[in-house]
Amino acid sequence: MINLHFSGEGFVPPSTNDFNLPPIFENIAWLTKPVLLVFLSVILVSLFFVISARKAAVVPSKLQFAGESIYAFVRNDLARDVIGHDFMRFVPYLFTLFTFVLTNNIFGIVPFLQFPAMSHVGFPYVLALFSFFVFHYVGIRKQGLGKYLKDIAFMPGVPKAVYILLTPIEIATFFLVRPLTLSLRLFANMFAGHLLLLVFIMGGEYMLHDSHLIMKIFAPFSFTFGIALTFFEFMVQCLQAYIFTLLTALYIAGALADEH
Amino acid sequence: MEGTLNLVGFGLSAIGPAIATGMIFAAYINGVARQPEARSVLQPIAFLGFALAEALALFGLVLAFVL
Amino acid sequence: MARGNEADAYWSIFGYLVSGLLFWGGVGYFAARFFDKPYLTLIGLLVGITGAIYLIWLRFGRQ
Repeated sequence: MINLHFSGEGFVPPSTNDFNLPPIFENIAWLTKPVLLVFLSVILVSLFFVISARKAAVVPSKLQFAGESIYAFVRNDLARDVIGHDFMRFVPYLFTLFTFVLTNNIFGIVPFLQFPAMSHVGFPYVLALFSFFVFHYVGIRKQGLGKYLKDIAFMPGVPKAVYILLTPIEIATFFLVRPLTLSLRLFANMFAGHLLLLVFIMGGEYMLHDSHLIMKIFAPFSFTFGIALTFFEFMVQCLQAYIFTLLTALYIAGALADEH
Repeated sequence: MEGTLNLVGFGLSAIGPAIATGMIFAAYINGVARQPEARSVLQPIAFLGFALAEALALFGLVLAFVL
Repeated sequence: MARGNEADAYWSIFGYLVSGLLFWGGVGYFAARFFDKPYLTLIGLLVGITGAIYLIWLRFGRQ
């Protein structure tokens, strides 16, 4: 492995240290900004849906319409189309997952909040762990423990000696790689997106304060690109929330199917 | 600033599988759009091609860390 | 249904490749450390990728 070292004066690029925020109060170590944002998102999501559903009417108000269209999107496009029959059991879980992840992601570009909590890997791990337990539990309940494990581990129609090669791969896929990729995909997208915005905004600020005139002239371009990337980030954040929920639904559907 | 040159090499080598995956799915979409009933014939071929191209990319990723 | 199955297939293929490389590559890596023969890592990786592609062919390739 060839290691590279560059050192020099001037611009310090944003790094992983920018994600380790100090506690808000000096003596409470666990209360950092991401934790606070997660609590805020729970309160916001519950308040929004309680208020939008409280005065439910046949002719919906604007708020009720917004709440119901998000619910209808998760129920029809995610749960019904993917899981198929008997999908209503999973709608509450999928709906909670989708709105929670979406709200936390969008906090990344809301002014003054501006931190996606999912760029701390601990939060996606826990969410993926929930999904992991849900889809294995559902599969075991539906098919029984022995048959479920046998379906996972042994692909039909293969000579017996090849199972030595294939069974470890299947087991690693279902019990290790699936939850890991589920959480890491969300984490990596949020982390990289936040870092990208930091690079352009901090770089622009550095260029604006530089003594050379030519650097000052090019600083607005950096800011403009940062703003354009903010809209791009909004798209990525919605897409990642959707993909997280879609993959959970797909795993549940796979566990419910008789042969995989 | 510090880092390793292996990751730069992996970044360069990932261009190949990226182009390959793009071409595979471009051809697949083209084929299905021209002849929708050919989907069941084309789908396994597209998946296998995708798997082979993806395998090379992941192989490069692993080698970037192992070497 | 068809759209969901297709999205599932892409991520399944990716998952199989990753876990094949991880498991058999890991076995090869520790064998290389144990027997002090570095080429065993490469053999482990190749075995893993072969197994993963065979598994993908079994699941998605045959009609």
